[in-house]
Amino acid sequence: MVIMETENIVKVYGGASGEGSTKALDGVSLSVNEGEFVAIMGPSGSGKTTLLNVLSGIDQPSSGSVSISGQEISEMTGDALALFRRRQLGFVFQEFNLLDSLTAKENIILPMVLEKKSTAEMEEKVQGLGELFEIDSILDKYPYNISGGQQQRTAVSRALVNEPAIVFADEPTGNLDSKSSAVIMECFEKIVNELGTTVLLVTHDVFAASYCQKVVFIKDGQIHSSIVKKGSRKEFLNSIMDHLAVLGGRTHDI
Amino acid sequence: MTFNQVVWKMAKADYKKYIFYFLCNSFAVMFFFMFSTVYFNSRIEQAKKLEGIQDALSIPGAALIIFTIFFISYAHNVFMKKRRSEFGLFLSLGMSPRDISKLLVIENGIIGMASILSGLLAGAVFSRLSFMLLMSSINLQDIPFHLSGKMFLYSIGAFLAVFLLAVGKSLIFTLRSSMILVMKSNRFAETIKMRSPLLGAFGLLLMVGSILTLYFTYEESSGAFLPLWTMAMFLGLYIAFSQASSFLIRLAKKFPGYYFHRLLFLSSLEYKFKQMTSIIMLVAVMIMITIFYSTLLLTFYKASEKDAVKNNPFDVAYYQIETKNNLSEAELNKILQTKDQLEIPIFYYLEKQILAGNGYHSYNFMSLRNFNELTKQEKSLENQEFLFFLNSEPEYAHTEFSETFRISMGNDEVTFEMKDYVVERRINLLPNSYEFVVVNDEVFDKMTNSLDGHVLTLNLLNVEDWKNSEGAVGELVKKFEAMNQAAPPANFSDLPYIEEELFRVASKVADFHLNKTTSGIMFYVTTFLSILFFMGTFILLYLNLFSEVDTEKAKYKNLYKIGMTSKEVKKNVTREIMTIFFVPTVIGTLLAFIYLVILSTDVGGIMNNPDILMHFLLIAGIYLAIQLGSYFYARKKMLIQLLG
Repeated sequence: MVIMETENIVKVYGGASGEGSTKALDGVSLSVNEGEFVAIMGPSGSGKTTLLNVLSGIDQPSSGSVSISGQEISEMTGDALALFRRRQLGFVFQEFNLLDSLTAKENIILPMVLEKKSTAEMEEKVQGLGELFEIDSILDKYPYNISGGQQQRTAVSRALVNEPAIVFADEPTGNLDSKSSAVIMECFEKIVNELGTTVLLVTHDVFAASYCQKVVFIKDGQIHSSIVKKGSRKEFLNSIMDHLAVLGGRTHDI
Repeated sequence: MTFNQVVWKMAKADYKKYIFYFLCNSFAVMFFFMFSTVYFNSRIEQAKKLEGIQDALSIPGAALIIFTIFFISYAHNVFMKKRRSEFGLFLSLGMSPRDISKLLVIENGIIGMASILSGLLAGAVFSRLSFMLLMSSINLQDIPFHLSGKMFLYSIGAFLAVFLLAVGKSLIFTLRSSMILVMKSNRFAETIKMRSPLLGAFGLLLMVGSILTLYFTYEESSGAFLPLWTMAMFLGLYIAFSQASSFLIRLAKKFPGYYFHRLLFLSSLEYKFKQMTSIIMLVAVMIMITIFYSTLLLTFYKASEKDAVKNNPFDVAYYQIETKNNLSEAELNKILQTKDQLEIPIFYYLEKQILAGNGYHSYNFMSLRNFNELTKQEKSLENQEFLFFLNSEPEYAHTEFSETFRISMGNDEVTFEMKDYVVERRINLLPNSYEFVVVNDEVFDKMTNSLDGHVLTLNLLNVEDWKNSEGAVGELVKKFEAMNQAAPPANFSDLPYIEEELFRVASKVADFHLNKTTSGIMFYVTTFLSILFFMGTFILLYLNLFSEVDTEKAKYKNLYKIGMTSKEVKKNVTREIMTIFFVPTVIGTLLAFIYLVILSTDVGGIMNNPDILMHFLLIAGIYLAIQLGSYFYARKKMLIQLLG
């Protein structure tokens, strides 16, 4: 079942036309099925983050449409959009974006607080997620007292509390070392495999992308190609690298 | 591009930070200058000496200075906090701490100079304006606005002293601290190191204890311990305050159902309160002083007529002897339109106390007939009885008098027994007119004949229209003065008063005018200071809210991303600003009220003084209304900043 569908998204910065304008997205059409684990890759400036922002309703497309769970989010505005985001979508950011004044647990339940869920429900949810991501021992600590990996797992838990239809992740491993990156990507795998949640992540980290089931490459604001995982993660990693080489980005010398 | 150019470019890009700092310092200079235009105003200086309003002015003056010290160092800290992370960067690029210090001195030097100039200018303009406004509103024409060198000197001096201290502290910090500390200083939240509910409870106890002690001892000690207990109360308030937010939030956490639903509000409040304890405390104290003083002074001002009437039961009163203040009835009538007149001979007698070593005891004897006439009573006395008459309002009467006294008349030792005790205000405030010993007429005559004392005739007059008697009373005073100077000295060496004092004229109308001018000036000064204080507190709160607006913006941006609606942002911001604006207001108002209640114990309690209560409600109401206005303003500004 298709959970997210976009049609011909165009995003122009700096006025609709004219000399100063930049076309960040140029006719992107994409569809993601329920329970899929998709990565969007591309060189710097290719429009990855713009695409993610448009898909998640943080930014409005200049033209085209985005629908999630059958709802047209490109037509929603203001508070309706905010409500939709917190009920249907989850977010994980590169800088974790946790509130320093709240403990890990409080950060996790924040979307539930906004939804005015019952205390028992919040406690139950936090307990479950804490165990799932192995952060139950640090739940009462403040963000500046825990490691980056733990902060990101807290952020992943926060993205999941309201049982979203889809989780968006913007360079979730960008601020982490390789070991923490692996832990986070395993978390995403768990989300997809155990909870059946759809995950869409934007990354330029080949290693992170290799955990996904499908990688979509974009270049100059357009979808260039996509590949689907068939064999092992190692094979998939190699084929992503090959693709990136074709795409014109520099490959890593390993 | 030289390094200096880089620094200059960074400064230009960040001009808002400098403007902000400059404005705060300008305000500080303006405060000092506006206060000094009042404090050093020649007419008010004159009044300070004559009418004893020195104390009334020095307390708010001290408060203003403390406030400004805090204000300047706070503005400086906000400025430096942002600046320091840049300094860290400069240091890591190889700039020496000496260079940084030089930069700091130059920056602050320029801002300090500019602040002095603009502050003085703005201060002069605003003071002139408020002089005009207030003078016409309280109908006081005799305080002219003027500027003097002293005003400039003191305000520049006071500002520079505080400013240099703050800059000096930062210089030492910059020179001494490590690079990493400088770089990260922006990110360290100031936290309270000592946190314990026990300490908080102690603070609360200290505060409540001080207030209660003050309440129960104020009347007896006639306010001697007021400063001490007030200090203790403030200390207690501060301790309780610094612990209160953590304590309350810890308490709230015990009830997750309550806590979770106010998670954002409570947690950010805890974070903010930690940094703001001293500011909120300061603002609360300023509000307390403002409301308390304004209420008191408004009461005094309104009471000028009432006090004049109360303190002067007769329109005109004076002592008279053969050579002093002695006018014939015809002459007197020519000057004053006398309605009725009482002449009461008072016999002043000083007796050496044999039993009590070399002590003396003085008596003011009055005859029973005169007493009955004066107080419109029908008392009677036997020969060895006396009646003690205290010329005072009952609530101020604190004099003890022995039940008997002995006096030697001729060869006899006569012992008198007290029959009665009367406390009433019947005579104007004149020297030597507080305690009287009333004896029957026969004894009185015998005393005047056989004892070596002085008879002073107390003249008590009522005129046709006292409010219009100012000119006539003035003429009478002049006439008396001329006459008294021409006459030989009265030679009353045993009376503890100088002649001019003893023979002065106590009139209702002169008292009324004096009261009105004195309390008018005081009321003016207080209103003036209240406005300054209000502006100051508002700027302080505003400064505090907006100094971290960038962090707040980032926070709400994140929250928006995870789905917080603008309605929820509004609600949250409203709660926070409301707390910051109204917690100090409520505490300050409450403290002002408590202090008014305490002070009223001296005049029979607040319930017997409905005018104090009314004035308090009026002033507190006005304050609250203005605070409400400024709260809405700050909220609107904040929401525009956060929601765009």
